[in-house]
Amino acid sequence: MIVDMLRVTLNKVLNGAKLCPKHIYIATRAQSGEVKKPEKVEVFIDDKPVHVEPGTTILQAAAMVGIEIPRFCYHERLAVAGNCRMCLVEVEKSPKPVAACAMPVMKGWRIKTDSELTRRAREGIMEFLLVNHPLDCPICDQGGECDLQDQSMAFGSDRSRFTDIDFSGKRAVEDKDIGPLIKTIMTRCIHCTRCIRFASEVAGVDDLGTTGRGNDMQVGTYIEKMFLSELSGNVIDLCPVGALTSKPYSFTARPWEIRKVDSIDVLDAIGSNIIVSTRTGEVMRIMPRVNEEINEEWLSDKSRFSYDGLKRQRLVTPMLRDCNGELKPVDWEAALLTVAKVVKNAGPAIGAIAGGLADAEVLVAVKDLLNKLGSEALCTEHTFPLDGSGTDLRSSYLLNNKIAGAEEADVVLLVGTNPRFEAPLLNSRLRKAWIHNELEVASIGPKIDLRYEYQHLGNDPALLQQILCGQHEFSKKLISAKKPLIIVGSETLERSDGAGVLGTVQALAATCTGANKDWKVLNILHKVASQVAALDIGYIPGVDKIRDNSNLKVLLLIGADECSIEKSDLPADCFIIYQGHHGDYGASIADAILPGAAYTEKQATYVNTEGRAQETLVAVTPPGRAREDWKIIRALSEIVEAKLPYDNLNEIHVRIKELQDFYMTDAISRASPTMAKCVQAVLKQKQSKY
Amino acid sequence: MASFLLRTRTLSKSPLCIKWCSPSISTTAVRNTEPQIKNDIALLNPEEIEHKKKLQNYITVEGTTDISPITGIPEDYIKERRVRIYEPPKNCMQSGTNNIGNWEMEFDTKERWENPLMGWCSTGDPLSNMKVQFSSKEEAVEYCEKNGWQYFIQESKLDKKFKPKSYGVNFSWNKRTSFN
Repeated sequence: MIVDMLRVTLNKVLNGAKLCPKHIYIATRAQSGEVKKPEKVEVFIDDKPVHVEPGTTILQAAAMVGIEIPRFCYHERLAVAGNCRMCLVEVEKSPKPVAACAMPVMKGWRIKTDSELTRRAREGIMEFLLVNHPLDCPICDQGGECDLQDQSMAFGSDRSRFTDIDFSGKRAVEDKDIGPLIKTIMTRCIHCTRCIRFASEVAGVDDLGTTGRGNDMQVGTYIEKMFLSELSGNVIDLCPVGALTSKPYSFTARPWEIRKVDSIDVLDAIGSNIIVSTRTGEVMRIMPRVNEEINEEWLSDKSRFSYDGLKRQRLVTPMLRDCNGELKPVDWEAALLTVAKVVKNAGPAIGAIAGGLADAEVLVAVKDLLNKLGSEALCTEHTFPLDGSGTDLRSSYLLNNKIAGAEEADVVLLVGTNPRFEAPLLNSRLRKAWIHNELEVASIGPKIDLRYEYQHLGNDPALLQQILCGQHEFSKKLISAKKPLIIVGSETLERSDGAGVLGTVQALAATCTGANKDWKVLNILHKVASQVAALDIGYIPGVDKIRDNSNLKVLLLIGADECSIEKSDLPADCFIIYQGHHGDYGASIADAILPGAAYTEKQATYVNTEGRAQETLVAVTPPGRAREDWKIIRALSEIVEAKLPYDNLNEIHVRIKELQDFYMTDAISRASPTMAKCVQAVLKQKQSKY
Repeated sequence: MASFLLRTRTLSKSPLCIKWCSPSISTTAVRNTEPQIKNDIALLNPEEIEHKKKLQNYITVEGTTDISPITGIPEDYIKERRVRIYEPPKNCMQSGTNNIGNWEMEFDTKERWENPLMGWCSTGDPLSNMKVQFSSKEEAVEYCEKNGWQYFIQESKLDKKFKPKSYGVNFSWNKRTSFN
């Protein structure tokens, strides 16, 4: 291969072709037999010298010295398209301006990013773009955070030469219907093709494209089709103009009147960083926040669009079940006194089940309270095998190699997991590695569409044993791999044979000796945000302990809504307390309801599947009489005379540190009408022949 | 502003005047006023003078300064609020990067409501708009300590591993980077 490449290079040199840096690199490697760092190239940007790796583009080199070249089509996480021409800059001795985003620098080049020629080029491009762009900024949702607006102010001309001599109006394009999440106003499109590149590269859905040429060019799906991707919302952020905007957010708020609060997403176990935009105590939209180690700058659709569920079906006041069996609203005093009386009478016969959205603070408070009362029955809704070391070792239930680490892998074995729905952003990392790193993926589990090619080994857990024994052809690949990953879905481990699967997978990970010491082969992918924190704090995975306890008097559900336990599983006189924010399954079986705060309404810690603790921040105040969860438990503890020793967030954080050095799967998403529309649209799309 | 500039100009001129007139001043033997004897120093013994000299210098106090007792900010605002120190990331909606690359501090959010008069947003929290920018994390920490606020630092990884971009990979025939 190297010899072939070398011959190609030599031929090219002999034919007088220019050496591209990649070829130079390969040629040197072939000669010396070891990988050498290519020498850095010196270029001058506005007379500032900068040393860059060969192959660096002008735009990247300029960014290194803090000079920003305007762009529309270029995006650092997408392939280079070079079609908007906004990044044209002057290069000394070059007859024409060059596109900075696509042109690799050459030694000694003097690039002028603010010369007369550059400025005129930009002004010309701006003028061409604006000729075909409607003047509807006052009614455009992108107004105020629009690249075209900003760049026309900074680089455009101060007057227009556009006169509609035929009175035919500006160019107009029909709007497309690509689903319930993305609103299209295609007349505004400037054909940067960012959405097309995102769809085919990151999302892996080759549905978007262009039709027609020149003035007739249109971006769309050609046939009416839903943009069926779990990452589709990101094209809204990518669109530099208002052609693709958020349908649920449309015409609801302006960027200058909303307040932005940084937070953490809890609707999957990835813990994406988000920005919650609020106005008058209402969440208006959720956007991604850059974190290179977790979500880069993407966000899954469920996290982005299910915020409207935060306004519906909320528990706004404490409730008690009266003698007729109906839940009646009461005030906090009555609710806490009743609950405290029951808890006091129960003594140690009390248990708790933590749901998927519980934060670390409330988990700690509940554990401390129950331990003070003499109970150890603290369970999580989602189970995990307890055989062997169980959950004693933190590494046995974490995504040990981290989310960003998945990018470097060369062989990945997925065991009983669909990362596309369970963790869309991990799946996008895997797809990135599949594209750029020639990653090989194999999967044991149901045959699914992962948006990249993979080898489907089968749906039988016995295959794992075969791979372990070396009887399967895949075992060779796995053992010889330099950076192998085994990603196990937590749902598989909840099955009756989960312990067996985990044992085999652990043994399999131990045989992957090709990896170096820092590389961690075994990775567990959780589905819910609270699980890792709960296991860290010492909750018992699974509700068996509650179910087997025949003299349980009080059961405290902390947002447990997954129907893991039913009233028939419990003794007839068991008093159920539900503490949570949505009137879902858990609230329906409860005898007392204590309204808590959702993740946008409290400062709370969540630990994601890779074991990273992150804090959400208060964006809006909880509705009605709802309160922050740990404060409710703290108040209750005072009445039952088992006072917890912390009064504020800092003190409870100290306590936590002492303890430890897809669309409709949770209560918020279930209450969201946008998510319901998505389910309808997907069902419709499935019936369509495209 | 203008008057201030004027004054500084006259001030800067005055030494020149003195220089030009200096021969005439130096030749006069007559003093208009008697030399002032500072009687408070003259009456003191040497130890007392030494002590007085010491008092004229600044006193260095070890540790951080806390100006919260004299800022006039109500005590509950200082004790109950939490300040977050963070590095703002790039806005995902836009490509500009001019307003990032610094550290900021921000207070926790308090209740806001819709004002019945105009439908605008109201708050009872005067600190809600206090967003201060700093060039480094340490500066922000120092500022918070000086004001007596409880703070926590939120670190986030914003810088990306550098990789040269290539237009050519769109057309490589044997790679998965080619989509056409």
